[in-house]
Amino acid sequence: MVYYRRKGRFAVTSMTMVKALNSALDNAMERDDSIILLGEDVGVDGGVFRVTDNLIKKYGSARVMDTPLSELGIVGFGIGMSMAGLRAIPEIQFQDFIYTAMDQIISQMAKLRYRTNGDYTLPMVLRTPYAGGVHGGPYHSQSGEEYFATTQGLTVVTPSNPYDAKGLLLSSLNLNDPVIFLEPKRLYYAGKMDVPDDYYTVDLRKAKLLNEGDDISIITYGPAVPLVMNTVKKNNINADVIDLRTINPFDIDAILKSVQKTTRVLIVTESPKMFGVSAEISATLAEKAIDYLSAPILRVAGLDIPIPFALEDYYVPNEKRIMNAVNKIMQYR
Amino acid sequence: MIEETDISDEKLLNAYKNLIMERVMDKKMLNASRQGFLPFYIPLMGHEAMHIGLGLALRKQDFIYPYYRDFGVLLQMGIPIDTIMSQVFATANDNALGRAMPDHFSLKKYNIGAVITTVAGHLMSATGIAYARKYREIDGGVLTTFGDGATSTPDFHVAMNFAGVYNLPLVFFCENNGFAISVPTYPNESGQTDAYEETKGMIYKKAEAYGFSGIRVDGTNFIEVYKNTRKALENSNNTPILIEAMSYRMGPHSTADDPNKYRKNDVTEGSEKDPVIVSQRLLKEMNILDDNKIKEIEDETEDSSSKLINKYEKAAKPDKNTILDNLYEEEPWYITEERGDLQ
Repeated sequence: MVYYRRKGRFAVTSMTMVKALNSALDNAMERDDSIILLGEDVGVDGGVFRVTDNLIKKYGSARVMDTPLSELGIVGFGIGMSMAGLRAIPEIQFQDFIYTAMDQIISQMAKLRYRTNGDYTLPMVLRTPYAGGVHGGPYHSQSGEEYFATTQGLTVVTPSNPYDAKGLLLSSLNLNDPVIFLEPKRLYYAGKMDVPDDYYTVDLRKAKLLNEGDDISIITYGPAVPLVMNTVKKNNINADVIDLRTINPFDIDAILKSVQKTTRVLIVTESPKMFGVSAEISATLAEKAIDYLSAPILRVAGLDIPIPFALEDYYVPNEKRIMNAVNKIMQYR
Repeated sequence: MIEETDISDEKLLNAYKNLIMERVMDKKMLNASRQGFLPFYIPLMGHEAMHIGLGLALRKQDFIYPYYRDFGVLLQMGIPIDTIMSQVFATANDNALGRAMPDHFSLKKYNIGAVITTVAGHLMSATGIAYARKYREIDGGVLTTFGDGATSTPDFHVAMNFAGVYNLPLVFFCENNGFAISVPTYPNESGQTDAYEETKGMIYKKAEAYGFSGIRVDGTNFIEVYKNTRKALENSNNTPILIEAMSYRMGPHSTADDPNKYRKNDVTEGSEKDPVIVSQRLLKEMNILDDNKIKEIEDETEDSSSKLINKYEKAAKPDKNTILDNLYEEEPWYITEERGDLQ
């Protein structure tokens, strides 16, 4: 972690992920007047999770826009702005509500650079809270990363801690391509971390090795990361834990390097297993690393059902399911 | 009726030439598609007067986000013919490397948006572009075109709402040709629509609910289209506006449908409401055109358009090695790997 000295002291503050994201938006907007925030309740209310808190006071309603209630409109409005040289940051209040904007995302946002061969590019970051953690039931808790990851032309990023959240958001704003920035809402207020007040970036093309070990590679990202780390620590698993940070394109080099060392792989996601991100990683490893593997690749993931209200805790991965999978992999000879 | 206009006779005559060029090119491109030189084509017949009127109305500082039936707008705007034809025939010279279907232009340097196929999919983009230009205090208005079918989509209503809420410098221009492929805008009891009856519906009146005005113009009269659209663009700093231009799609929707199945062909080539006939009548009344001149222009256009079609039918297609270019600014590892699949 890089600390910055300012006036003889470390300019870091202990921040939640929400505060870190707010700080990133503030830094970015201060540096670049082409950045426009827009969405439902992002202005006066500061966003339902407070990620945009107070920004309207500093930057005004022409740059922090409370829009009419239409996800199609919010995303489409941002696309137009970014086509015309601004850098829009639309917020969709819950990822579950994004589907009326999916035509805009798939048909216009994702394809614009390719279909015009770069005549138009789309520098924009679509932010949205996703996955479980607040007992929101089928329409406030979805893990929809696969919808975006399987759409050619999108970059899909998801942070797992406050420091990465700020640095990855600022990196996303440096791309000249559209980014789907998925914020795990279960981690919004899950803990604080020292985060620089000033501008910094985190390389979104690089996965982060959160724990080093020789026995097994556990590949995960976003909302599942703290669960994996707690399980590894509590059970003294000798594991490499890889936080992808970016789902598409994922850091294949980091994965291969670890797998060649450990020869055993577990993939943990909160999104459902079938046709998921874990399937793509498994298939890629089957193509590129089958000669190294000592055991089948296993996956611990969300159940293949819509996420239920009362029984959410049984839907998401937990320590027991992870340990069962780890033991199964380690026993394999 | 003699039209009063601020356009010079020379410019009006040139506009008429472009209108004839669009008509003749349209027929030849439809033929090219039937002969297999174009895999797909979107006919234009019946839209010419709207296109020429729009092209006349747009000023250098204006931005247009067209839809996929606006060939003639670009002709009248003075976009180089090589740029237009390279796109339509998807040649190696096309700035988008032939990635989009015919008439899906993307020309940022001429203030032209990237035409999208999904109906009304560009209307929110045009709205955002209008906001960005207002935010940056850029002079000029934004104009976006769409067919009558688009007015049934959520995109249309959301874009109209945003334009009203933020009072954007945006002209919504509906090229009402009476049909969404085979479905009339407002079917009557027999499933038919007469393009020129009030019963066809009142698309322009929808604007009132969004807080700005809507007008209806004769889409077969390019001077009326020009006048109203220019006025709307000049006034767009004050308010958005919806213009509904009434016309008739004289051909099929695309090369994939047969209009004889779904309507009686009441506006045919050479009939009273054909935009070519309407234009000839207007310009004759203004003493700009006579029968000799009409014939002369026809012959010239026939000759020049044949040469163009022959040239672009034979033009080289894009290099296969470009197929994986420009998905992202920075190429992902899997795209680099897929380059091997091309070899």
